[in-house]
This record gives sequence, C-alpha cells and structure tokens, in this order.
Amino acid sequence: MNGATLSDVALLVPELILVGMSVALIVLARRIKNTPIAATGTVLAALGAGMYSFWAVSEGTQVGFGGMLILDGYSQFFKVLIAATLALVALLSVRSHDLEEVPRGEYHALLLLASTGMMLAVSSLDLLTLYLGLELMTLCSYILVGIAVDRPTSNEAAIKYFLLGSFASALLLYGIALTYGLTGATNYQAVASVITGQGLTENPLLLVAIGLVAAGLAFKIAVVPFHAWAPDAYQGAGAPVAGFLAAGSKAVGLAALGRVSLTAFGEETYVLSLVLAGLAALSIVVGSIVALAQTDMKRLLAYSAIAHAGYALMGLMAGTREGISATMTYAFFYVFMTLGTFGVVIALGERGRTLDGYKGLARQRPGTAALMLLFLLSLTGIPPTGGFVAKFVVILSAVRAGYVGLAVLAVACSVISAFVYMRVAVFMYMREPEEPAPSSFPVAVSAALAVAALVTLIGGISPGILTVWAVSP
Amino acid sequence: MNAYIGIAVSFVLAAGITGLMVILASTLGKKNSTPVKLSPFECGVDPFSLPIGKLAIKFYLTAILFIPFDVELVFLYPWAVLYRQLGTLGLVEMGLFLGILMAGYVYAWDNGALDWQ
Repeated sequence: MNGATLSDVALLVPELILVGMSVALIVLARRIKNTPIAATGTVLAALGAGMYSFWAVSEGTQVGFGGMLILDGYSQFFKVLIAATLALVALLSVRSHDLEEVPRGEYHALLLLASTGMMLAVSSLDLLTLYLGLELMTLCSYILVGIAVDRPTSNEAAIKYFLLGSFASALLLYGIALTYGLTGATNYQAVASVITGQGLTENPLLLVAIGLVAAGLAFKIAVVPFHAWAPDAYQGAGAPVAGFLAAGSKAVGLAALGRVSLTAFGEETYVLSLVLAGLAALSIVVGSIVALAQTDMKRLLAYSAIAHAGYALMGLMAGTREGISATMTYAFFYVFMTLGTFGVVIALGERGRTLDGYKGLARQRPGTAALMLLFLLSLTGIPPTGGFVAKFVVILSAVRAGYVGLAVLAVACSVISAFVYMRVAVFMYMREPEEPAPSSFPVAVSAALAVAALVTLIGGISPGILTVWAVSP
Repeated sequence: MNAYIGIAVSFVLAAGITGLMVILASTLGKKNSTPVKLSPFECGVDPFSLPIGKLAIKFYLTAILFIPFDVELVFLYPWAVLYRQLGTLGLVEMGLFLGILMAGYVYAWDNGALDWQ
C-alpha cells in the first residue's frame, strides 16, 4: 500500500474494537452458549467504538491508507449512529422468541462484523473500499437473516435476500468497473476531477456508470423498485435482525450514497438528482399504500421503512450540503424510532407478530402502549417527536431544490401513512383485549426502549442538540 | 469509446459464428439413427450409477475448510515476495490476518468440523 503507516491504524480503531470482540466471541462460541456474555460484550464493544468515534474527530479530518479511508464529521456521525444501532439491537436480542434456538456467540459475532462493514463503508473514500465494506455488511446480513436454521421461513428469506443481494452487488460492481474504465480511478476525488475535466457530453457511458452505482446502493436502502427483498427478508428474519437491517443497512446506504453523490459524482449532480427524485417518489407512494394492506407487523414495518427511505432520499436529491445534512438528520431519527417500534414488537413476543395482537394493549400494559404510540407518532411525523423534525427538514430541502411537486406528494403520502400507523394505535386503545397480557420484559429490552424513546422525544423537543452533528462531507 | 468497439465486435462475431456452427450442424447434418448407434457408449450395457459415483457429504466440510487456507496462501505469497519493503507494519498486519484466520480454525475445531465421524 502506498504510504500506509502505523498511524493510519488510528483511523480504524472503532472497527478494530468490533473485530476484536467478534473474534473473541467466535473463539469462545461453544463456551458461552446461553449466557448473556455475548450480548454484554457486544454492547461494550459498541459503546467503546461509538465513544472513540465521537471523541476522535476533535483532532480534525484525517485521511489514511493512501486516500482510501477518511475520518471526518460525516463518518463520525454515522459511526456513532451505527454503534448505537448495534448496541440497541444487541440489547433487544436478549430475549427474542424467534431467536431462541440461535447460538448466541455466532449471532453476536455476525452482528459485530456487519457493523464493522458498515463503519468501513461510511468512512471510505474509494469505490473499492466502499464495496468491501458493503459486502462485509451484506454477507453477514444474509447469514443473520437465515440464522434460525430450523425455521423454514428464515431459510426462505435468507435465500431470497441472498439472490437479490448478489444481483445488486453485481450492479454496484459493474458501475464501479465502468467508472474505472472511463476515468481511470476509483478514488472519489480522482473520479470527480476527471469528470470535471471531461464533462458528461464526451462520456455518455458515465450516465450508465452513475445509474448502476446508484442502483446498487438503492438496493441496500431498499427503495422502490429495488425493494422486493425487504418485506420477505424482514418477515422471515428474527425481529431484532429485521430491526438491524431496517435501521443500520438503510443508514449506511444513505451515507454511502450521500458521499458518492457529493464527492465523486458532484459535477453530475443533476443526473443523480433526477434518478433519486424518481426513486423517492416511487418509494413514498408504494411504501405508504402497500403498508395499508399488511396484517403482519414486520411486513407493515418493512413497507413503512420503504416509504421512509423515500423521504430520506429527498434530502440527497437536492445534491447540496444542506440537503445531505437533512438526510443525515432523517437517518438519525429514523434509526431510533424504527428500533423503538421493533423493540415493542420484540418485547411483546409471539403476540407482537400480527396486527391483531395489539388489540387492547393499552388496558393491559399502558406503559408499553404509550411507548408504541410515541414511536408511531414519530413514524407518522407528528410533533413533538423526532420524526416530525426529520420529515420537516427533508421536505424543506426538497422545496428549496425546486421539487415542489415531490414535496406535495410527500406530505400527501404522510397522511396516508398516518392511517397505517394510527390503525395500530386504534387497536391498542379502542379495542377489547383478546389475548392474555404479555409477560414482563427483560431489563435489557426495557433499557433499549427507553433510550430509543428518549432520543425520539429530545429530537422532537429540542432538535438542535442532535442535529448540530449532522454536517455533510 | 471507439477503443471498445473492437471488443464488442469480436464478442458479436464469436457468438454469431459459434451459434451458426451449432445450428447448421443440428439442422443440415445427416442423421442415420440405428438401434446400435442409440445404445449406450462402448459396451452397450445401461449404466447403473452416476459416472462420478457417490461422494461422502463429509468432504463438503473439508472443502469449505480448505478454501480459507487456500486464500491465505494467496495473501501470504505476495507478502513474502515484498517482505523487505513492507517491513514491520507488513509483519504486524500479516500477524493480525493470521490471528483472525486462526480464530476461524479454532471455531471449526471446537465445533467438531475436524472429527471424521
């Protein structure tokens, strides 16, 4: 490697913490079968990695490994977000009824490795490092989706996810290859400088390259028409894994797309804007409407996540720094409110699977119902929750970028999605209970729910505390 | 752009000529099928098992375990060639790499992947 020194390793400390814990869990896997050691270790590693990422950037932006990795405010923001996702998912996995037979050591080791891939992807400054990080994330995700080997639905979901995922990886790789063929570089800045020199008119193939890279990343974010895997994968996977994919995978895809669109293809933003605007409009409409027809809770959340991915893209579409900050804000609040909702689904166990299970919950467990209501309000985008702030900033950035029609569509679809989420609330508060009250939750699950609720509320009441960190690259 | 047209043309030519040969042979070729010609090759006895035979499923684990060590060699070889230029950092990195690889090996061993029975 040209010029890689020991000081470059400092850039990788958060990843090394996660890998170290993962390797330790793999070696100890057979000895810690049904103990909470694996979950504890994962949470500790996530806290360590998150805290290091949070403090490290005070020394300023650093580039290392021959310009392949960067440590700046942008990667810091997403690394902390990924660490938070990992910690919350590890806490929620403590007692999940659909992951009971799963070997704990391996499960948490895979979660750690997937998060390592995510961190590499958000800090990469080169298309190849980006691909490497995303592949590490997706390969671990395939196994995580199918980790309940004795459940046929889990296996089916894993195979579907694997087939479509490999296809998307191939698209991304093909886009990278075309970019390299046309510009002779994979480094973002080098690609950008070549594009600035040549312009699009001389290189119509560049359109194809940008389109392929965007399509490959759109698959990770699960936006229409690259969403087909998400509902099946979420439904078949254990609820914590589904939450991990919905929150982490999406945030990373958005982060990668944000950096690529601003740094590498910055000169051709308007091409990417059109593509992203189309994807955003389709996702918002399809996600909101199809969610209406769902009765399985995880499928409902999958379609809701597709709609949210569409909203998040509205920020990137503008192609400006403000737009990317808006998407970062969206990704941040989205992660916490989604994990909160998944947390309630997990906490309710077997009962949380279907929509009917929520009937009369408010009478049996008023606290849980109130938490669920908070997350649902946030997903709808009603103040005073983080979801409102998130939707507000992305719609504002779309209006500023001149996409008024799309902004109107987004607001209209918000109303449709309100119907989706409020249906759950009506079931909880206005129906008679049909099933016995759920048993009390483990402390870890309650803690995760409390953190998610706290961030959602603080974000709604004084968003400035959190959004100040959302600085674009 | 023009530099790539040659490659595209050669692809089209290759596919076209091969396809043409196959189609011509199967349509124009003279077919004189007699019972003797249609009987199984060589001795005329119907085969009673797959020609490759049955393979013990245990080999699949061995094959999977083989892959990491094969890949390890792919990394070790260029590292050995450039050992002096890479210096201490290269040594540390290779140590880390081997350590992580060994963790997988220990895991496989621990879970009984090396027991033949």
